[in-house]
Amino acid sequence: MGRALLWLGPSLVLIAAVVIYPAVELVRASLGRYSITGLYQGAVGLRNYGRLLEQEALPTVVGNTVTWVVLVVGITIVISLGLAQLLNAPFPGRRLVRWALIVPWAASLIMTSKLFVWLYDYYFGLVNRALVAAGLLRGPVDWLGDDATVMGAMIAVGVFVSLPFTTYVLLAGLATIPGEVYEAARVDGASGWRAYRAVTLPLLRPALLVAAVLNIIYVFNSFPIVWTLNDRNPGMAHDTMITYMYKIAFKSALRDVGLAAALGVVNVGLILIAVLAYLKVSRWREEPV
Amino acid sequence: MMSRRLLPVLTLLCVIAAVGAACGRGDGKPATIKVVIAEYSRDHTRPFWQDLAEQYTKQTGIKVDLQVIDWNSIDQQVSTMIQNNQPPDVLNLNSFSSYAKDGLLYSADEALSSKTRDDFLEAFARGGTYKDKLYGFPILASARAFFYNRDLLERAKVEPPRTWDDLVQAARKVQALGGGVIGYALPLGPEEAQAEWSIWMWNNGGDWKSGDAWTINSDKNVQTLSFLAALANTHRVTQVNPGKTNRTDGAFQLFKDGKVGMVMGFSPLAAQLDAEGKVHYGVTQMPTNVGTPVTLGVEDYLMAFKKKGNQEAVRQFLDLYYQPEQITRWITAEGFLPVTKTGLARMSGNEKLKPYLDALPSARLAPTTDPVWDKVKLDVQQTIGLAVQPGGDPRQVLDRLQKNAAESGR
Repeated sequence: MGRALLWLGPSLVLIAAVVIYPAVELVRASLGRYSITGLYQGAVGLRNYGRLLEQEALPTVVGNTVTWVVLVVGITIVISLGLAQLLNAPFPGRRLVRWALIVPWAASLIMTSKLFVWLYDYYFGLVNRALVAAGLLRGPVDWLGDDATVMGAMIAVGVFVSLPFTTYVLLAGLATIPGEVYEAARVDGASGWRAYRAVTLPLLRPALLVAAVLNIIYVFNSFPIVWTLNDRNPGMAHDTMITYMYKIAFKSALRDVGLAAALGVVNVGLILIAVLAYLKVSRWREEPV
Repeated sequence: MMSRRLLPVLTLLCVIAAVGAACGRGDGKPATIKVVIAEYSRDHTRPFWQDLAEQYTKQTGIKVDLQVIDWNSIDQQVSTMIQNNQPPDVLNLNSFSSYAKDGLLYSADEALSSKTRDDFLEAFARGGTYKDKLYGFPILASARAFFYNRDLLERAKVEPPRTWDDLVQAARKVQALGGGVIGYALPLGPEEAQAEWSIWMWNNGGDWKSGDAWTINSDKNVQTLSFLAALANTHRVTQVNPGKTNRTDGAFQLFKDGKVGMVMGFSPLAAQLDAEGKVHYGVTQMPTNVGTPVTLGVEDYLMAFKKKGNQEAVRQFLDLYYQPEQITRWITAEGFLPVTKTGLARMSGNEKLKPYLDALPSARLAPTTDPVWDKVKLDVQQTIGLAVQPGGDPRQVLDRLQKNAAESGR
């Protein structure tokens, strides 16, 4: 027992310090009332949770969050399936392409987001210049200011930065599929698309599950992209739960740490429910067919 | 076996570390004071305060834990410090009255020598007063001025506007030059919307408050905001989506790129324009709709936090900063305006600052002495831009701001 504790000790201390302590603090903060300066002014029980439900912006923000997570994760996985297949096939320069794919992953999210702010710019941006030159647009579009395009512009960046990780997870999954099963499929007369659907996809399921679950968590919690691309827009019309939480705490007239903490607790709960629901729907316990 | 000994040792170590950090020495003098400063510029802020801290340590033997924090995250970081019961000893910020209201601060009587107290310019001392006591010590000031692109105005054959009617005409003619040229760059996005709005409001005779009551949705203010919406949507002489354009990377960036005829700027913008040398610009008074041009003065603050045993240490630090050669050296380096009588005397000969110093007498401050302002400001930043978007409703937006302000005051 003593020896086991000794081995486990460092990780237990680490878990206590970086997981349990902040979680406890978050719950505690959500039960308190704070002045605009951050000064604690006493306990209020569950009142912050009740007030959260009265917030006018909440339905919009929840809707935005669902759109953001579902589309970013969905599009990322579809594109990554293609990319992984491509990178799994031998071709000259494959190593180089594999390396290049890591770049958006290695760059800081804030830097990437700032870069996209300039790319999307109405007056200076390359996106408008390219699309107008190609004849796809008649005039420039204010991608980050026009209510109709902000979410799409953010989703494109979200997909861009999620591709590397997802592709590598799927690539690792592809590497575990033995060549024999394809031989067998060929013998049975299945090839091309048919083989992909009947052999590759089912065998990729463990990798797909990992990619989807981790991406749901990352994308839901993603702050820098939405914050940076949306910082010019007043109000909460394009916020997700995470940036909304930050605005409640520091950037809106509410300026309320307790209310923001309550939303933080709700966020953790929501992400747990979302992941469990996804695992249930995809029947993760079943062995691949 | 090991673990039973190890655990208490670890616990003890943690306790020692925590106590050591929190308590300092027992002789009434803190070992360290925490000084939190907002970053005004990469080049000047940290070097100046680092140097000041070293002088302070040499004089008093007290170490300085100096934290220079960028404007985007300073509110959040300070709030976290206070939540965790680890407030700074000295804090520099653009608001003070909420901290005074929460009883966290020393007043000037407690934290400044009388010589320093008497040196503040009257208007700025008033701007740092809460319930008749000075809590927000002026650290520096700035004033807005009206910037115009000389080349564009010349090409459009217009003079810098004096009135709102002039402005509309000038902006139309500049915009008509074509090629993506913008008449007037109007930043009403969340970054600093309250500043732009204040200037327009005052130059139409409106105000934030009348006496103790908020007057955000007065008829004059509705008229002003409708005028701004018309600039954007009827006259179409602003950049695209002015309600969704920030100041620094929006309006100023466009002006620096030579695409804009007119914009409201301040001395740091002038410094950037001079450094880049790309735009031939002029600086003048704000156009007005009521006769006398008014500009916005902005005052930032130093605050001294009440903590056990730190009063003398904090007083020594502040007095060191407020020595005329120190404060003037910094304000000059950052390109801002003086807040002290001695500073004004020293800087009045500076040619580059002349337009702003001239504007100072007509400058008004936002109602920073009212703690409610700290919320109103954020509310304005997050909503006023919506009024100038197509389909926006100026009266509705102002009514809402008024309602929120009145409720926060209760």
